[in-house]
Amino acid sequence: MQPPRGVADGVGGWRAYGIDPGEFSFHLMRTCERLVKLGRFTPTNPSDLLAKSYYELLHHKKAVLGSSTACVVLLNKENCTLYTANIGDSGFMVVRRGRVVRRSEEQQHYFNTPFQLSLPPPGYQQDVLSDRPDAAIADNFPVEDGDVILVATDGVFDNLPHSLIVNELVKVQGERCASRLQMVANSLAWMARNLSFDETFISPFAESAFANGINTIGGKPDDITVILATVAI
Amino acid sequence: MESNEEGDDFVPIEKFLKMDHLEQYVYRVLDYTSRYNNSNSYYYAPINLVGKYAKYPSYGDFPEAYFLRSYGNWWKKSEGYQLDYRPQDFDPSGAEDYITLEFESAVVPRDIFIYEIYNPGSVVRIWGKSLCAPKCSWVLLWEGPPQIYPHKSRIFHPQMRKVNCLLNTIRLEFNQSHLQYHCSIDAVLLAGYQPSTNLQYNMMVKGLVDSFQKKPEVRKIMSDHIFDADSGGRDLFLNLPYEVIIHIFQYLDLKSLSRCAQVNKMWNEASVDPVLYQNLSLKPYWYLVNCNTLEYFMNKSKTLKKLDLSWCGNDSIEFKEFVAVFLRKDLRLKYINQWFQPSMSNLNKLVSLDLTSTDIQDNDLMTILKANKNLKHIIIDLCENLVRLDQIVEVVEKYNKNLTTWSSWKTSSLTAEGAKHFANCPHLKELDLGWCLINTDPGNCLERIASGCRQLKRLILSEWRGLNDYLLMPVIMACKELTQLDLLGIKNISSDLCEMALLMLPKLRLLDISFCEFVRQEEVEIWRQRYPHITIQRSCQYVVNDYLN
Repeated sequence: MQPPRGVADGVGGWRAYGIDPGEFSFHLMRTCERLVKLGRFTPTNPSDLLAKSYYELLHHKKAVLGSSTACVVLLNKENCTLYTANIGDSGFMVVRRGRVVRRSEEQQHYFNTPFQLSLPPPGYQQDVLSDRPDAAIADNFPVEDGDVILVATDGVFDNLPHSLIVNELVKVQGERCASRLQMVANSLAWMARNLSFDETFISPFAESAFANGINTIGGKPDDITVILATVAI
Repeated sequence: MESNEEGDDFVPIEKFLKMDHLEQYVYRVLDYTSRYNNSNSYYYAPINLVGKYAKYPSYGDFPEAYFLRSYGNWWKKSEGYQLDYRPQDFDPSGAEDYITLEFESAVVPRDIFIYEIYNPGSVVRIWGKSLCAPKCSWVLLWEGPPQIYPHKSRIFHPQMRKVNCLLNTIRLEFNQSHLQYHCSIDAVLLAGYQPSTNLQYNMMVKGLVDSFQKKPEVRKIMSDHIFDADSGGRDLFLNLPYEVIIHIFQYLDLKSLSRCAQVNKMWNEASVDPVLYQNLSLKPYWYLVNCNTLEYFMNKSKTLKKLDLSWCGNDSIEFKEFVAVFLRKDLRLKYINQWFQPSMSNLNKLVSLDLTSTDIQDNDLMTILKANKNLKHIIIDLCENLVRLDQIVEVVEKYNKNLTTWSSWKTSSLTAEGAKHFANCPHLKELDLGWCLINTDPGNCLERIASGCRQLKRLILSEWRGLNDYLLMPVIMACKELTQLDLLGIKNISSDLCEMALLMLPKLRLLDISFCEFVRQEEVEIWRQRYPHITIQRSCQYVVNDYLN
């Protein structure tokens, strides 16, 4: 049984309410990890894992408040299937021999407002967008030995053009060496970061804004997390 | 279980049989008496003891470890607390809770390692359930007084009694009454010897390798000075009037009484007199009690007044059914502790009702409340099947005018509207609504409660995350009798409010402000010096990064 991989991206707007936006997403993923260690999950159902983790947060003595997008992928080696759950605009991408064979769908209420799990402070429930954990898109997909799996936050997908990501991922097709994987993960994160501060770059984010009638140019400075893995069966 | 195998002639079985050494962490949690979690949640839950440690060597209050609910003697000061009514059956180690753990493989136990990561020192007994014939029973492996230990995590490694039986079930008993705050355990590691072949295993289980051990001699029970039937032929003790003998026997614990019953016919007659069994506390003898013992006592004592069955028969369904039948017959019960059976609906003289962790449902509870108008203490902590608490509070308000204690800790269906009805219970002294209003706006319910319940001594509002200074103020202004105030996990409480509570509540002795993030630790330190008579609780988390873990 492979441990699941996941990213969660806290919603920054909470800073204005004195809430650390990283706290909710941190505890969400930590709790997922703990549930897996205790065997409290179904290996074919990462969205249930996400839901359990979310409801668990209420029982923490420390009031964990905030909201977050999340993406969890789980490889089941027995049937060579990747099980995924995604809520909001973080996501995953699977590359096989230079071609993207699967990627997650973005879930947005409207432009730049992704679906999100949230625990708002009591009294603010009406004012906050909150999607139930069962709104997560669950997917499963057969993988092959050597496939490259990228799980990342929107800071990566909004700043790196599709072709650039694929170009990088191709380099680690079938790679078993952790440090080479780490190098490519580093370069993806660095490129995303550099481009996010480039004010003249026509980023995927800018293109999407333009399609929504908003005239903007340049990258989108945002939190960037990259998880890179290859399938070894 | 009395036999002490650790004599000079004891030979550890691994010395003469080839066995494999094995170390294993907990595989499954079988049973427990204390929990801090809702049943569908794993934070703080017993299940965290399964597998390798998650937090050790970090020290503190972490949701990834098992957390016991009670600590210190605060709960003994509660109105509804039952004093020990049989001091002769007093447990010297004072065990208050236990947890039963199963390991994957049966071993002959040699070492146990208990990873204590918050307020260590509460383990007072370790039992093992022997798988070996002739007696598949509980064996005491270690016993010791509760320990005072510095605020550091530790691996507790007591020297266990050497026994040659196979076991895969361990029970830990805790006494937390000397601790300053909750204790928490991360993992338990059991080391011992495993039979290397199936044949060996089967021989051990059937008791066939037992012959190497010398059988312990039966100890002499009675001193010859008091009673010597052979030489004198006269039992001087029995010259005493019967009433005096009974009076003397009243001071004996149950074990001594049953020994006396074996002396002779006269002693037997006196020692089984029903007068001696009006009040029974079988908790210290849980490992000996079964349906037969209970039936014996029940028949013996038609005048039974008090009966404590805690810890007894927890692994037996028949036992529970037996007690249910008994309850149907006996309607004089006044106190019920952590037990529910539908047959209880016939009771009408209850004064105290503790249904902690039971699966009682709304209608049954309301029937009981309406029938028992004299109820003073209602404890329904962790009763997760109660989904109409608001309605239940209205029933209490109408029928149970003498209510002094209400505790519905970690139940989920109470609303701020429902909580307002406590304002009409003027005798209320203890109100535990911890974790009841986690994510709702409490509105002005505390203002109402404060104006109606002037005698409040204990108020527990843990995790009322919508609470703030303004909403809590009426309590501090009106409830001058308050001795315990629990504000655990309320993010928006300010230092000013805490200081006001310390200053304006003259009888305050306990203030829990753990996880109140706006209160700084430095301020707490100053208050602790300025108000030394008040215990200010504040839990900590010292994380030690253990990259090898």
